[in-house]
Amino acid sequence: MAQKRCSKGPGLSQGEDLAADEDYALTQSGSQVQRNLERLSPAQVDQKVSELVQYLLVKDQKKIPIKRADILKNVIKDYRGVYSEIIKRAGRILQQVFGLQLVEIDPKYHMYILVSNLPRLEVENLKQDDCTAKLGLLTVILSFLFMKGNAAKESAVWEMLRRLRVDPGVRHEVFGDVKKLVTEEFVRQKYLEYNRIPHTDPPEFEFQWGARAAKETSKMQILRFVAKIQSKDPKAWSTQYNEAAAEEAAVGGLSQDTSTHGDTGGASQGARRRTR
Amino acid sequence: MSEDAGSSGDSRQDSEEEPGQGSERAKPDGDHTDRRMLRHQYRQLINKVQQNREDMLSSRSNSLTDALQEANKLFSGVSQAREAALDAQFLVLASNLGKEKANELHSEMTVFDSPAFAEDLLTFMGLNRLEGEENDSDDGSIASGFLPNNAWHKLGAEAERYFRRSPSFHYMLGSFKADPPVPRQRMERQKRRAGTEEKRAMPAQLKKMEESHQEATEKEVERILGLLQTYFKDDPNIPISFFDFVIDPSSFARTVENIFHVSFIIRDGFARIKLDQDKLPVIEPSHEDEGRENDPNAQVRNQAVISLSYQDWKDIVETFEITEPMIPPPGVSQENES
Repeated sequence: MAQKRCSKGPGLSQGEDLAADEDYALTQSGSQVQRNLERLSPAQVDQKVSELVQYLLVKDQKKIPIKRADILKNVIKDYRGVYSEIIKRAGRILQQVFGLQLVEIDPKYHMYILVSNLPRLEVENLKQDDCTAKLGLLTVILSFLFMKGNAAKESAVWEMLRRLRVDPGVRHEVFGDVKKLVTEEFVRQKYLEYNRIPHTDPPEFEFQWGARAAKETSKMQILRFVAKIQSKDPKAWSTQYNEAAAEEAAVGGLSQDTSTHGDTGGASQGARRRTR
Repeated sequence: MSEDAGSSGDSRQDSEEEPGQGSERAKPDGDHTDRRMLRHQYRQLINKVQQNREDMLSSRSNSLTDALQEANKLFSGVSQAREAALDAQFLVLASNLGKEKANELHSEMTVFDSPAFAEDLLTFMGLNRLEGEENDSDDGSIASGFLPNNAWHKLGAEAERYFRRSPSFHYMLGSFKADPPVPRQRMERQKRRAGTEEKRAMPAQLKKMEESHQEATEKEVERILGLLQTYFKDDPNIPISFFDFVIDPSSFARTVENIFHVSFIIRDGFARIKLDQDKLPVIEPSHEDEGRENDPNAQVRNQAVISLSYQDWKDIVETFEITEPMIPPPGVSQENES
């Protein structure tokens, strides 16, 4: 197993999945997986891998994290014995063919998301739909949360959004039921965390960044967004800048400037993981 | 600290380097060493502050305040210009430090101003402040102006540049939308619950109706008993024909009702029915003593079933030539005896 892991290319970012799988009762040791593999024809396994890739791509449309339990139930089925091998290969295909990274965002409940690993083209995105608009709203909320110290009361968030003519009690012409979008959809997608503040009566809620937000963007990126909107230098907010820089250093260049990250980002991440 | 050198060096005659001070009054002599001591302390303090510049500038330490307080204490002993000059020197140093400290504080305090952020966002989204919509709800805090339809899309397109969001593919011809199934079950359950609540309310209502009905029966029985007793009072010993008493020639239903009510009177022993010599039923009052007293224990229960068809009723009305009811319908005045 260990040997196998080393032999994989540096661009592969499956370390997380492998680590998480080790605690899973269904997954056997590397040698067991090997033995199970021998019992199946390569075509059968390849078929399962393709199915999984397709499944992940379709499920990703909704941007709701994909649970391992669902993968096992809907795709893997009788191939549980070689689950780790299948997800490893699916991850590799997603990486090599689609430039997507399969990331496990919740090691406890085993949830996966797909994150783009390719540098963005500096071309206007041709496809603009309501998802684009929703991302705009989300970015505003994430910016507000980060700038306000990584958490904010629900009332403060709405107060901010009301200035942008987004009111939880009023149907928005683009977003529809905004309250539902923010407190349910963004939360389900793991862009936001929405929790009750303890010991509040009547209950008050606060927002924080969700796990997906941390993977798809970074504090530094959001700070750059704010700086761009306000036509300022990101360093103007020194507290936030220091925090973002510290995060960047900790992640190890994973979220460099969008124009430069890519394969290098994936590689350095893979390298960091392997040293553990 | 607030005073300065000019106002203080005016109290003494001193010797060496005190020009223009000759006019002052002298103080005891030991005061010379005191002054030297004071100067020494001032120089020490100035030195200390210069050495610990970083510490003084730190926003987390109070050392600058401490130094100022110390200087204030020293100043209370100052009597002449020379010491006062030292005090002034310290003051210059301290105010320089203070200025630097304030500068640093300022640059660190660029706070996130969310109203300004919102304003800038609106500008970015293409808010046209001239082409104002109705300014009705705007209470000053919300910018007015026309916000184009694609405002959020424009912002979203910008936001995408800061995300590593995976592009999701879409079907070109129509689509299969992976909408979550509509939670139909919950709706049904709610409806059912509402239904049972209504049902639960029903028995309570019915019970109430029954009660009031029973009360009505009791009242009616009492009324009829009252009528019966008035008839008996008129002719105490003549039994009344049962048919004459209960039959209402105008209503079969009333007749049946009368029989029903009279049956209570019989059961309670206020009157009894027997056959006269023509084998026709008559109703007669029971004597006070025999009827009532042994009622609960000794009285034998007499039960009989009377059948009365619509035809029977018509025949009886004809045969006995009953033209008026002896029991007037409730609500009608009771003074119309036959």
